[in-house]
Amino acid sequence: MSVEETVKKIVTRIVRKPDINFSPTTTFQDLEADSLDIVQILVALEDTYDIEIQDEELQKVTNMGEFIAYIERKVAEKG
Amino acid sequence: MASEKILRGKIALITGGSRGIGRAITLKLAAEGADVIINYFRKTSTAELTAQEARDRGASAHIIKANLAEPEKIEGMFHEIEAKFGRLDIFINNAASGVARSALELDSRGWDWTMDINARAFLLCAQRAARLMKDGGKMVAISSLGSRLVLPIYTAVGVSKAALEALTRYLAIELAPQGICVNAVAAGAVETEALKMYTADPNLPKPAWQTTPAGRMVKPEDIADLVAFLCTDQADMIRGQTIVIDGGVSLTPLSSPSPKD
Repeated sequence: MSVEETVKKIVTRIVRKPDINFSPTTTFQDLEADSLDIVQILVALEDTYDIEIQDEELQKVTNMGEFIAYIERKVAEKG
Repeated sequence: MASEKILRGKIALITGGSRGIGRAITLKLAAEGADVIINYFRKTSTAELTAQEARDRGASAHIIKANLAEPEKIEGMFHEIEAKFGRLDIFINNAASGVARSALELDSRGWDWTMDINARAFLLCAQRAARLMKDGGKMVAISSLGSRLVLPIYTAVGVSKAALEALTRYLAIELAPQGICVNAVAAGAVETEALKMYTADPNLPKPAWQTTPAGRMVKPEDIADLVAFLCTDQADMIRGQTIVIDGGVSLTPLSSPSPKD
């Protein structure tokens, strides 16, 4: 499964919207994700890929396309 | 003359031990001679830094990542401790999280998350820690004044801390025959990096909760000193108590001025 597919699977499970189709411009706000959802998404991705997501770096992320690209970059850095 | 290290040879687990109050406790126990096991939630780099600071104080330090909301992660953490150390002398239940909502806005997910980490994890960790305390031991749980006072949007955390304090009493009695002392520490507002963000502007009036009858806020190091004392033999006859450390603020109306104002 690609990083993009994994991110989508984790996000839709945690925000409890399994059938939603989101585009690169979809935001966490569009998904009605609250702060607890976001923490749980980050923890799930960190556990899945053994990466460390920097909250400060995420401040620059505005939509799901950028979020997926950020996770892909972190996974690539991890090797 | 160098003072004697009162916790020399002890092995201590501090949950949430890499940052804030947990970090101060880790470093205090390390300075008092304990070897420390630092549990952390997400930031390996921060945990590594704290571990290095503990080593600089002469302790051995080991880090374990575990989300304490998940029972299987708690189990994994204790398997690792048992395999590496074989025993435990001190368990500090410090890790905490919470959803900031009023009672009427709180949903079941936020309630469960907060209770799982703040109360259930204490139960599960204490059960496992007790099995590793073959020669007795000390447990200290970190609570807050929100367990007994009503603070804005603090419902879930306040209730979870009340549960933690009640559990402290039950554990203290159940574990007493094994030579295990269990107590809690309830702090008022603590001067941390996070709090500084709200108090950086010197032109803003000083909120009442920023001061205390003692004339200053509680610091993480104040809590660490108390926790370290509760981990010594001198505290053996303190059982199942919640010790308040707040500079006296809970004894007065919040609007009362400090003696130094």
